[in-house]
Amino acid sequence: MLQTISENAKGYNMLKMRGVAKSFVTKTVETQALQPFDLDISQGEFVAIVGPSGSGKTTFLNIAGLLEAHSEGQYYLDGKDITGLSDRSKSSLRNQKIGFIFQSFNLIPELNLFDNIEMPLRYRTFSRKVRAQRVMEALEKVGLAGRKSHYPQQLSGGQQQRVAIARALAGSPSFLLADEPTGNLDSKMADGIMALLKDINQQGTSILMVTHDMDQARQAGRVVEIRDGYLTEQQLALTA
Amino acid sequence: MLLYYFKLAMLSIRKTPLLSFLMIATIAIGIAATMITYTVNYMMTQDPVPGKSDRLFTVHLSSWDPNVGYRMKDGKEDIPIFMTYQDATNLYTDQRAHKQTIISFHKAMVRSAAQPRGQATMTYLRPTTHEFFSMLNVPFLYGSPWDASDDSQGSQIVVLSKKKNEQLFQGENSLGREVVIGGLIYRVVGVLDEWLPLPRFYTERSDSYSEPRGLFVPFQSSINNDWLSGTDGSVYCWGGADLIDLNALKASECVWLFYWVELASAELRDDYLAYINRYAQEQKALGRFQREQMNRVMNVAEFIEYNEVVNKDGRIAVWLAMAFLIACLLNTMSLMMTKFHGKGAEVGLRRAVGASKVDIARQFFCETVIIGLAGGAIGLVLALLGLYVTSEVYSHLHAGLMEMNLSLMLLTIGSSVLASTVFGLYPIYKACQIQPSSQLKSL
Repeated sequence: MLQTISENAKGYNMLKMRGVAKSFVTKTVETQALQPFDLDISQGEFVAIVGPSGSGKTTFLNIAGLLEAHSEGQYYLDGKDITGLSDRSKSSLRNQKIGFIFQSFNLIPELNLFDNIEMPLRYRTFSRKVRAQRVMEALEKVGLAGRKSHYPQQLSGGQQQRVAIARALAGSPSFLLADEPTGNLDSKMADGIMALLKDINQQGTSILMVTHDMDQARQAGRVVEIRDGYLTEQQLALTA
Repeated sequence: MLLYYFKLAMLSIRKTPLLSFLMIATIAIGIAATMITYTVNYMMTQDPVPGKSDRLFTVHLSSWDPNVGYRMKDGKEDIPIFMTYQDATNLYTDQRAHKQTIISFHKAMVRSAAQPRGQATMTYLRPTTHEFFSMLNVPFLYGSPWDASDDSQGSQIVVLSKKKNEQLFQGENSLGREVVIGGLIYRVVGVLDEWLPLPRFYTERSDSYSEPRGLFVPFQSSINNDWLSGTDGSVYCWGGADLIDLNALKASECVWLFYWVELASAELRDDYLAYINRYAQEQKALGRFQREQMNRVMNVAEFIEYNEVVNKDGRIAVWLAMAFLIACLLNTMSLMMTKFHGKGAEVGLRRAVGASKVDIARQFFCETVIIGLAGGAIGLVLALLGLYVTSEVYSHLHAGLMEMNLSLMLLTIGSSVLASTVFGLYPIYKACQIQPSSQLKSL
């Protein structure tokens, strides 16, 4: 059965998946992690991915983020078919089109905030001046401009996640992939991060966010549920 | 980007100081052990007269006892590497080579004329002929070799080594000064500059790695003085020779002199050997040389090989040291595997933000280069220390054997970097294969 989830396009179709599926094959067993589905996400959309643990949310996010290959179907990112691309091409696409935000922040402890945020820019051919400018702009967006020389362990969890968001934004990606970005934060910090993400989204960046928290899911414009490998669109009342 | 990778590598090394230290120390120890043995072996196998060694030949004649062979070598009959007095002087008188020299040995009590008798020391001498110095490219600090007329007259003149000149004359220009050798006055005509041929190929194997003798005198003067000393060189006899004095030795078939020639070109070797064979035939007609004729000439490399100057054990030691180095490198490789595996989360993150596998490989490659450089630098210090200790323990051997030249030092560093990068390839490959999605929850 092919599931089709296609929101009326608000704008340019940033992500288009057709018949995409994922299965893991071992010597003895084949596990279907994601059943074949269609999905369109437009530029400027904020989509929440919800579902119970083990349902396939992270697998979906990894496929969307080009960190894992899909087993079947076609995946178009920003109009480009990524099927069969080389490692270098996929890396380049990740670098230029996608920003990642992780539950556990994933900052490198021995690098200061500037160096952490600069990391994605290092894999592009920016001059030192442009890199510095972009890092400072990203730090300003997340409200940490004065702390570029600090190290991650000198910051609170919420601040660390802001740094991770700054790192994701520094490369001016087409969309952000957030894997439970508030999962390690208390509710106050989580609210701050959600506000920041919404603000970023309102400035035109598409966001695809995996979450367990239905309150946060409702704050996204659109909710997709994954259950037992099946993707379904949820019609949820949006909060004010 | 390269600077960025090196910055990351330095951070990584600092982050795990113990692991990094173990890797560097393991490489350093392996490299040091290898380079110590390699240096000694390398120095043993140097060309002692560069540019000329293919034109210098030692002459060996089949003048031995017709009834009993001289000796067996590698299952075949061999002939002496020394020559009788009469053959050496016959060939020398003929002057058929571009240059030729007779090399003998003697030892005597030696002092400067100004020193009291009590300060005389037992010293090894080298009676030879004047072309010895130019044939072997011997450098002079003061003066020059004696000439052919001094050889024919047996003038009582002497050339001192630099070291002996320092002992006798405190390193001053001693030309014209007098040295008392075995009670006889010799006048200094030359002082050598530093001269340490390695190996000292022109005499016996046992002398190959000891320093050259301190005094050089005309061969004829040692004959004139009836100098006969059988304890600091080899004299092999047959036919019941009775060596009561030098005249008896001169008239005998005993072999004891080295004979070397320098030809104008290596191509003249066959011509010279043909001359030697003709000489042997003449001697045969006179009743000598009754054995099968196996006369030969050997160039420097051949004689070094024949004389087994380079001990086979030395080569085995180098192989063993290299095996030890490989064991060290395998240990380093396992430490690298551990280290790079521990960086899986960082690899995952970098891959997620856009690093390709090649980028990751370059980053870790820089780290292995730095580890190799550090291991090489420390290994070099350890090797120099080890060579110094070895030279102290084996002080009777040529000091030059235990000295690294610049190319060996660079080889030490270079081989360390090469070894660490080659043995780092597999850990780097494994690190590049890390699936980023599997690591992103573990940073």
